Amino acid sequence: MKNIFVIAKNTFRAAIRDRILHGILVFALLFILFTIFLGSISLGEDLMVIRSIGLAGMYLFGMIITIFLASSLISLEIERRTLYLILSKPVSATELILGKFVGLFAAIALITICMSAVYLGVVWYKGGGFDAASLASIVLQLFETGLFIAIITLFSTFATPFAAAMYGILVLYIGHSLSILLQYVQYRGAALNTAAHIVYYIVPNLEKFNVRNIVVHDMPVSVGMIALAGLYAALYAIVLLYLAKHVLGKKDL
Amino acid sequence: MIEIRNIRKSYGGYPVVDDLSLTVKSGHVFGFLGPNGAGKTTTIKMLVGLVRADGGTIKIDGREPHEQACREQVGFMPEDPYFYDRLTGMEFLMFCGQLFKKSYRKPEREYGEILKLVGIHDARDQMIATYSKGMKQRLGFAQAIVNDPAHVFLDEPLDGLDPIGRREIKDIIKKLHADGKTVFFNSHVLADVEEICHEIGIIHKGRLVYAGDVKQFCNGRTLEEKFVMAIGQERNSSMLTL
Repeated sequence: MKNIFVIAKNTFRAAIRDRILHGILVFALLFILFTIFLGSISLGEDLMVIRSIGLAGMYLFGMIITIFLASSLISLEIERRTLYLILSKPVSATELILGKFVGLFAAIALITICMSAVYLGVVWYKGGGFDAASLASIVLQLFETGLFIAIITLFSTFATPFAAAMYGILVLYIGHSLSILLQYVQYRGAALNTAAHIVYYIVPNLEKFNVRNIVVHDMPVSVGMIALAGLYAALYAIVLLYLAKHVLGKKDL
Repeated sequence: MIEIRNIRKSYGGYPVVDDLSLTVKSGHVFGFLGPNGAGKTTTIKMLVGLVRADGGTIKIDGREPHEQACREQVGFMPEDPYFYDRLTGMEFLMFCGQLFKKSYRKPEREYGEILKLVGIHDARDQMIATYSKGMKQRLGFAQAIVNDPAHVFLDEPLDGLDPIGRREIKDIIKKLHADGKTVFFNSHVLADVEEICHEIGIIHKGRLVYAGDVKQFCNGRTLEEKFVMAIGQERNSSMLTL
């Protein structure tokens, strides 16, 4: 257990010192502040515009940062042989994978908290008070981020950083389009229907974590829904990280 | 003691290490030599558990390299090591030390002593990205001895160092030997090997050509002369076989 913590601390430290990350974060914060202007030209729908674009912006930048950091999590370490320095020590593949996951998740969670603080500040400034519903959306975004990190970590154990990023983006797109996919193939033959259902049950349904439209239209988000989404993300992530550990364990470095 | 029995390893059907057997007594400094592509690095990676042998056995003090208890007593420095550029030298060394049970609670002062020993104490709070190749080589050596291991495996430890740096690292290897540690290292710098090793092993195309005492092997000539002769003879005999 201590090795997981040691690796997580090291991964967190290295991630938050990345200058490209700082640049993306500054840009994200400026974008959120820019929603004040966009709200002011919306003819009385300031809060709706700020919430809609602000939440979407946080999600977009959050995913960009996740892809950027997670795609090279393992593969770059294999390429640069820094993994030799770790796995030659009494560290198991499980501890390495979990430590990397926890450290990276903590770094991205910190960035999400920074963006959220500015976003909630903007909403409060424009008279929206404390936006608890948006907080629910942000929590679900964090669950999705955790699941997405696990997805890219698995890809990172056998693909180059670029390929892992591309596969991750593909899964992100498909994961948000599963319902549309099923509707599309409904009347297009049994074979296509079966294939679509296989994809539906294998690829994680990332729409479970998307409540931005609900929040923007002032509809409630139930605690039960958040809890179920969290459980879904946790179970999926455990399976993916187990597979990642298995792939890494079998590798000759 | 390091016991290697009939280990073999192939990549894509091509044998890289072929029926290698070797014994290195505890407390000895052992130089592992061979031309480029002979299988030296693959052998060392099998010894530290980064690669699993296709056959044969490796035991370090009676334990297999992938066992955690074995790794607690082993230090490894890879060839041309890379590090986490966004950490300082001290942070990286502490990270490495904390992965071992016995050095988990080591105070920062002791890590400082190790950095002094390898000559980069003054740069301990600088980012590794600013380090020169020689400084990185020294940091690589430092992380290999951070857990005070009984057995130290070094892949080209003198690579990239200036003459002063080479002298300092050789002195550290001699000190490790004086402290009863086993040092197993690959090197192309045969003059240094001749100076500090008790025994050598020579490998060519995955097979052991010689293992034993350095002076006995040299027999009045320099190690470089004898090494070139030995490899030349191996190449000739394999051509005759064809």
